[in-house]
Amino acid sequence: MTINKTALALSVGAVMFAGSLQAQENKLYLFNWTEYMDPEIIEAFEEKYDVEVVQNYFNSLPEMFAKLNAGGVSQYDIIVPSNYYVPRLIQTGLVQKLDKSKLENLDNVMEQFRDPAFDPGAEYTAPYQWGTTGIVYNSETFPDAPKSWSLLFDPEVNPDHPFALMGDGQVSMGGACAYLGHGYDCTDMNAWKEAARLLIDTKGRDTFSGFTDGTPALQQLARGVTHVGLSYNGDYLFFKDEDPETFENLAFMIPDEGAEMWVDSMLIPSEAPNPGMAHKFIDFILDAEVGAQLSNYNYYASPNAAAAPYLDEVLTEPPVQPSDEDMERLRFTPSLEGDALQTFQQLWSEVQSR
Amino acid sequence: MAYTGVTPSARSRGMVREARHLLLTVAPGATWIVIFLVLPSAYLMGVAFMTNGPYGLPEMPLSLESFRRLAGFGFLGWSPGNLYTLLRSLWQTLVSTGLVVIVAYPIAYYISTCRARWRPIMLLLVVVPSWTNQVIRTFGWMNLLAPGTPLSNLAEGLGFIAPNMGLYPSNFAVTLGLVYNFLPFMVLPLYAAFEKLDTAQVEAAQDLFASPVRAFWHAVFPQTLPGLLAGIVLVAIPAFGMYVIPELLGGGKGMMLGNLVANQFAGGANWPLGAAGAILMLIATFIGLFAMRRIGKRLGGGEEVVI
Amino acid sequence: MRKRTFKRCLTGFWWFTLVFLYLPLAVVVLFSFNASNSAATFTGISLRWYGRLMGNEEILSAFANSMILAITSSVIALGIGCRIGYGMYRHRHRKLGWLIVLIYLPIVLPDIVFGISEMAFFVQIHRLTGLLQPGLGTMIIAHVTFQIPFVALIVYSRFVGLDPTLFEAAKDLYATPIKRVVHFMLPTIKPALISAFFLSFTLSVDDFVISFFTAGPESATLPIYIWGAIKKGVSPEINAIATLMIGAVAIAAVISLVFSRRRQA
Repeated sequence: MTINKTALALSVGAVMFAGSLQAQENKLYLFNWTEYMDPEIIEAFEEKYDVEVVQNYFNSLPEMFAKLNAGGVSQYDIIVPSNYYVPRLIQTGLVQKLDKSKLENLDNVMEQFRDPAFDPGAEYTAPYQWGTTGIVYNSETFPDAPKSWSLLFDPEVNPDHPFALMGDGQVSMGGACAYLGHGYDCTDMNAWKEAARLLIDTKGRDTFSGFTDGTPALQQLARGVTHVGLSYNGDYLFFKDEDPETFENLAFMIPDEGAEMWVDSMLIPSEAPNPGMAHKFIDFILDAEVGAQLSNYNYYASPNAAAAPYLDEVLTEPPVQPSDEDMERLRFTPSLEGDALQTFQQLWSEVQSR
Repeated sequence: MAYTGVTPSARSRGMVREARHLLLTVAPGATWIVIFLVLPSAYLMGVAFMTNGPYGLPEMPLSLESFRRLAGFGFLGWSPGNLYTLLRSLWQTLVSTGLVVIVAYPIAYYISTCRARWRPIMLLLVVVPSWTNQVIRTFGWMNLLAPGTPLSNLAEGLGFIAPNMGLYPSNFAVTLGLVYNFLPFMVLPLYAAFEKLDTAQVEAAQDLFASPVRAFWHAVFPQTLPGLLAGIVLVAIPAFGMYVIPELLGGGKGMMLGNLVANQFAGGANWPLGAAGAILMLIATFIGLFAMRRIGKRLGGGEEVVI
Repeated sequence: MRKRTFKRCLTGFWWFTLVFLYLPLAVVVLFSFNASNSAATFTGISLRWYGRLMGNEEILSAFANSMILAITSSVIALGIGCRIGYGMYRHRHRKLGWLIVLIYLPIVLPDIVFGISEMAFFVQIHRLTGLLQPGLGTMIIAHVTFQIPFVALIVYSRFVGLDPTLFEAAKDLYATPIKRVVHFMLPTIKPALISAFFLSFTLSVDDFVISFFTAGPESATLPIYIWGAIKKGVSPEINAIATLMIGAVAIAAVISLVFSRRRQA
């Protein structure tokens, strides 16, 4: 009769074993934004180091952070979050310091990315791409669209066309702050409250279609589900290139009240199964030609100074390289921690549930 | 009875053997459920009583903070967001369950009146859509209700929705999705009830009461009540905790309790708050089940709710 | 006369409901053949979205994961569940209230609570012991947990439907318990085992919420993949996979119809 107990123990054991067996030596687990990597780069890397790269994708930073907390910290080798999530990753111990001796190409990084505010001394991060978050709108619907957040927040400017806001609360909140004149990177409690109220009112409008993450927002615009939304400059160009006909009537705009500029960086989770290979991967991306290839594929600006000679021309003009005036108005999304983060979460969850 | 005439010691030995047999057959499964469901649920309940760490993970010390948050009290004083979500969940559950009953009742009756050889096929036709994946079914409605589709244009022409908008995303789309999702769960138990309908009683009632409505009310309806109650349990409980449908069809306006809970984990916001929401959902579930049992017993049908 | 109008109304309502039930699925199937990337207008028949599916490694691996998960979990659940079913039958005269509660627990627990408690628990165990890393393993555990009750109840009801004297006869016929199990028990409950297996399999393939919360980076199943694709907003390909899955369901429906016909005959 003990056979049965043994059988049970065995099956439980086997299942647990199968779970822990997954991370194998010759694999590299990359956790990246959707549509953010040239498949040819992956192939080249796989060939060079005889390794299999397994890619997983996230649509928003909260999603990435949650996955990391739910066991991802020991399952991914590389993550590619944006600037304002880096401090909380460091503080929660979810990422490890880079071994700079293994990164020969680190010298290729542009001066302004070598000591970022979100990671002093760049001890944990190596830059991947940088870009902006702006308003994408249908220029047929809005031939005289103002260069302003009012396209989203003022019902008189857009009385009857569906629109979407960003699924990541900090970006939507920042936009509302900018529209109200508090600047995109506001962190003042009263400004936030006002912004949250504006968002709740905006949500209540008949034409509000939802909170959408950056990449899907473009699909919605392309399919006519919405006529205004928030997305990223590079994704916009990427899809425009893929489907010029549909995107002919879609325009990208950086509102004059200010908007987001971001840097995405490569980090290694603290319990990454294959940190050695992760360093090789980071170094591979930091290579001049690979860096250029990445930007040429993605339509995002490269933080890689050595890549400059290999970049396509489109990468040297707006919207990839914003005009000087726009550049002055771009801000990093503030990194929140402690009480400020808690307050923000409450305001945002209030906005979501109303 | 098998043990009559056996010595007491042999009987007790037999009982020991029986007990061991029970243990051996039932223990593996029971252990499995205890380890992989009871313990996790208990752990989750524990999480609800912990403090929310700076980045959303549970931390010591124990506190009731997350329940206060669930009730709407935060740094900023009281705010009604969570209450809205809760009321919306209740409202959606109520409306969609009601609609499901309204659609399923005549359908179940109709099937039971058809020829016996057709009935299995008709039931199958009702059930088959629910065999497809929930995500796919909901996706079908996204396609159907998007702006520019015939249904949306019709609704726009009739003035139900603002111009250029689709029927999705909206609270209406969520209700529709819920009704679609749960219809078979109501048709099946109702059909079972109709099939067992005592026709003699119905005929007697038809003689007794002048109007068919009264005949229905006194003879047919009470007989189908157990099936109806079973159906309501099967529909209302999962509808209350629904996650997929509001997430895909609600578009940020139709958040329900399931989404509130899931967001605390999948959005990395606040595990203890999410756990507290889960406890609320559990309580609602058990109240629902308990109420059904009580009502079922009072009706004296003795009809057990079997799924 | 009035009765006939009533019946006619019911017939009309029946057809209306059928349209309601099948329209969303029909739209998915129709637009999977759409030549253009639009949910609103059908521009012509094309197989391009199916072509895109073929070379997509992610979809193939999601399909493989779905199958591994469904088969493994169903087999384990069958092994554990039918023992409980038998135990419940043999000891049905005892007070087994606690067992009934335990068995109904996975059924009545809302999906989202089920999935989240397992996720939180697995994460915690993994943090403490290194075991139970989120992935196919944890998904199998979670699926077995919700399959056991269904298997147990199906097997139990099959035993209840049997003539109790059969067991006595079997006792006389076969000397050892093992022989009894092999030659009597298993053959008699075979139909129940088969339907329990298929139900478990279907439940597993169909599940999204619980899988979603217990999955690891490499263990996305088809529903999880589709969910991700919807969230990403790439729709025409989703129509194509969804159509294939609807096709599989349609085939299953026809098979079950044929079986039920044969049983009746």
